[in-house]
Amino acid sequence: MDSQIRKIHQQLMNKDMTCTQLVQEKLEALKQNTHNTVNALLNDTALALAAKVDAKIANGKPIGLLEGIPFGIKDVYMVQGTYTTASSNLLKHYKSAYTATAIQKLLDAGAIPLVKENCDSFGHGSSSENTIFGAVKNAKNPELVGGGSSGGSAVNVAKDYTVFSIGGDTGGSIRQPAGYNGVYGLKPTYGRVSRYGLMAYASSTDCVGPIAKSIEDVRIVLNVISGKDIKDQTTYTSEAISEDSILNSDGITTVGYFKNFIENDAIDAEIKADFLNTIEKIKAKGIEVKALDFFDSNTLVSTYYTLAMAETASNLSRLDGTNYGNRIEAENLKETYAVTRSENFSEETKRRIVGGNQVLSQGFSDEIYLKGLNLRDEIAANFEHDFNEVDVVISPVTPNTPPKIGDSLKDPLAMYLSDAYTVGFSLGQLPTITIPQGTATGLQITAAKNNDELVLKFANFLKDTI
Amino acid sequence: MSKIMTVDVLSSIKGAQPSETVNKLFEVIKNANASNNNSFNGNHNNCVSLDDLRDDVVVYSPATEKQIIIENFPKEKNGYLVVSKVIEE
Repeated sequence: MDSQIRKIHQQLMNKDMTCTQLVQEKLEALKQNTHNTVNALLNDTALALAAKVDAKIANGKPIGLLEGIPFGIKDVYMVQGTYTTASSNLLKHYKSAYTATAIQKLLDAGAIPLVKENCDSFGHGSSSENTIFGAVKNAKNPELVGGGSSGGSAVNVAKDYTVFSIGGDTGGSIRQPAGYNGVYGLKPTYGRVSRYGLMAYASSTDCVGPIAKSIEDVRIVLNVISGKDIKDQTTYTSEAISEDSILNSDGITTVGYFKNFIENDAIDAEIKADFLNTIEKIKAKGIEVKALDFFDSNTLVSTYYTLAMAETASNLSRLDGTNYGNRIEAENLKETYAVTRSENFSEETKRRIVGGNQVLSQGFSDEIYLKGLNLRDEIAANFEHDFNEVDVVISPVTPNTPPKIGDSLKDPLAMYLSDAYTVGFSLGQLPTITIPQGTATGLQITAAKNNDELVLKFANFLKDTI
Repeated sequence: MSKIMTVDVLSSIKGAQPSETVNKLFEVIKNANASNNNSFNGNHNNCVSLDDLRDDVVVYSPATEKQIIIENFPKEKNGYLVVSKVIEE
C-alpha cells in the first residue's frame, strides 16, 4: 500500500476535506469500534489541533507532511494532561505530568494524537488480554487475539482508525501484533528513539517504534521520532533515512535465515511452507541465501524472560501507591505497599515481578540472572558474526497463527514460547521490521545494529518480490 | 544479622509464590551451556561516555507539571502529600 500520510497530506492541501472532518471521522470510528482498542479518546485536544491546521490551510500557509495526520499512542506513553494507565488498575486514574520525547516530536511536527491505545498491562503479554479494558480483538477475525503487547495500536492501524500508531517493543510487542493484524511494525535499533516518557518494562530492550500501513509511513515517522535525547542517555545520533535510499535493493547480496526456526516441530506447517517459498523467490532474484545456526527457541525465550522479569521487578518497584496510583490504605506503610500492589497488579504482572525478584535474590542470581546475561552476550556475539556473513536476516514473526481469545491466559508458557522468533532480536538490540507478507503472520527483516535503513530497503524489495 | 526474605516480602505482594511456569524457564538457563563466564563483557553495553554526561543541574518543573503531580497524589492535605504511617521495627 502507498503512503497514507502523503495521500492525506495531499487531500488536506487540495482542500478535498478539512482536517476537522478527518479527525471527527476517525474519532467516531474509534468510538464505535468493538475491538476494544481504546483506553481513552483525546477528543478535545484533537479537534482543537485540527481547527488550527484548517485555519493555516485557509490562510494559504503551507503545512508540514505530518501536520494534521491523526495517530494513536499505546497507553504506556506520557502525554501531558492525559490519563496514562498502562492498562492497569494501579494507574487507572494516573495523569501524565509531562510528554514523552517521541510523542513531543510528533506533536511538534503537527501530527494529531487521537487515542491512548489498549495493550497488555505494563507490556506484560503477547495477546493484549492482560488489560483492564477488555481483550483486544484481532482486526481480521475478532474471535482471535489482537496480539501484544501493542495490540490496540496494531488493530487501530489495520482498521484505518489511526493513520499510524506508536507502539512499544520489548520482546516483540510491535512486531508480533503487526504480524497478527497484517500491517508494518518497526522495532528500531535500541537507542535510536528516546525512551523518555515510556513507562519502563525492561529498560535494556524497551524500544519505541511506529506501526503503519506502508514502509514509507514507517520511514517518515521513524525520521521524526529518532535522535539523541539528553533525557535518555542510551540514545545516539542517527542520520535521517531518505526516500531514495530505500527504493532499490542495491548492496543486498546475501540473506540469511535461522534454520532451527524452520526445522522444528513447533512451527505451523503452512507458515513453514510459505517461509520456504519466500526463500525460493528471493533466490530467484539472484540473491544468495544462507542457512545459519542459532540458539534454540527455549534458550532464547528463557534468556529473554529471565532478564526482562528481573528488570521489570526493579522498574515496577516504584509503583507502591505512595506518590501516585490507586493506593489502598492498610495499618502501616509496608502493609499499604503490599495490599496496594496485591490488589492492583494483574496475575501476569505479579508472576513477572515475583520471577524477577527470585532471580535477583542471593543464591539465584549467579546461576540464573548472571548466566542469563552471559547467554545474552553470546547471542549478541552470534549476531555480530552472522552480519559479517549476510546483509539481512529474515524470519517468520511467530511459529503459529493468532490464538483464540482466552487461550493465552490459560497457558502462559505457551504464550512465552510464542515469542520465540522475536525475543532474540530484542536481546541483540537489532533493528527489525515486520512486513505483512510471506506467511500468515508476516515476515521479520533484521539487520546489524544502527542499520535500520537496510531493513526498510529490503522490506521495499520484498514488497515487489513476493 | 542476615534475614531471609521470601519473594512475597521482596515483591511486596501478599501470598506471592514462585510460579511453576517461570521456574521452567529458569531451569533452561541453569542447564544451558554458557561458554563465557564474564557476565560484564558487555556486547550490549549502552553506557554513556564520560565526555558526554549531561550537566549536573537542577531543572525545575513547570507549574503545569507540578499541578498534575499534585493531582496524582493518592491522598492530599493542604497541597501536601499524605503518606502512610511508618512504623519502627
